[in-house]
Amino acid sequence: MTRSPYTDSPVVTTTVRLLAPGVLTYGLFTLFHGTSSVGGGFQGGVVAAAMVVTVAFALGIRRTAAWLDRRALSALVAAGPVVFGVVALAGVALGGAFLQLDVLPIPKATVYATEAIEVGIGATVAAVIVVLFVRIADGYEEPREADTSVLDGGTTPSVEVPTDD
Amino acid sequence: MTLALEATLSVVLLAFVLGVAVLTAVVRDVLTTVVVFAAYSLGLAALWVVYRAPDVGLTEAAVGAGVTTALFLLTISRTVRPATDEGLVDRRSVRPRSVLVASVVTVALLATVPALPTVGASDTAAFGPVAEYYLTDAADRGVDNAVTAVLVVYRGFDTFGEVAVVFAAAVAALAVLGREVLA
Repeated sequence: MTRSPYTDSPVVTTTVRLLAPGVLTYGLFTLFHGTSSVGGGFQGGVVAAAMVVTVAFALGIRRTAAWLDRRALSALVAAGPVVFGVVALAGVALGGAFLQLDVLPIPKATVYATEAIEVGIGATVAAVIVVLFVRIADGYEEPREADTSVLDGGTTPSVEVPTDD
Repeated sequence: MTLALEATLSVVLLAFVLGVAVLTAVVRDVLTTVVVFAAYSLGLAALWVVYRAPDVGLTEAAVGAGVTTALFLLTISRTVRPATDEGLVDRRSVRPRSVLVASVVTVALLATVPALPTVGASDTAAFGPVAEYYLTDAADRGVDNAVTAVLVVYRGFDTFGEVAVVFAAAVAALAVLGREVLA
């Protein structure tokens, strides 16, 4: 192997550290502003998930996976269908049709019902991408310190790679 | 954006997309293929923005250039290079019949292109009364992004189905991987 899929390059880790807050904020912005500007649930969720995947690549997949909360992830994966179903049935319960949004007893019912659905969609999409990425990466062995120091020409890696696999 | 600028951008981006698409197929190193394929997605994303479909462009950039590339990189990190330097496609394994079928399908698809309406033709569904209704009604309801309005308010049933598919895909993939426990 002449190339390593994992990097300890300070350029990469620093860039990702700087980018992550901005991109995650942008993902959430797209998620919440789906009714008034470009984006929505799918886009916002995908942007946020892509950032988590990038963080995992830069700082170590196992470290990122350890930082994720599995119960929160399960809840997020189920959020989309659940929220969509609840909003859809709320329309029926209030005497409207399935998925009729404007019968809900809140101001600007269509806007807020749409926002709720978008947030649910975003949660499901983001969590599904992160979960699939982490699970597919399971059998993947990150190069250990000894290997990376060879690749770097003997310099000490700035990020510690867990070697407990 | 002026029309001339738009046309120039489209041509440049289309040439770029076509170029990297061919490059993806002919490049020998798998890692290079993955990177070139990401560039292809990025070109497409830019093209969507030029065509005023930023919602699609955003998704293409994040999924095509971002997540798909990451998944491909993971996959190739778990595979090995073939020992021979033949490249990925062994010429002897290309069957003339397969080439014939692929060519016929390509020609048949290209033959349908003249049947498509011209860009901006006023008799297409996009300019019908339904589109007019969506645009005015969505604004009345306070949903300014017509794309979101169509997805959730008017075509909510389809979107519900899509979310169900995403959910089911995750469950199925985890079941096939034998890893029902998340993270």
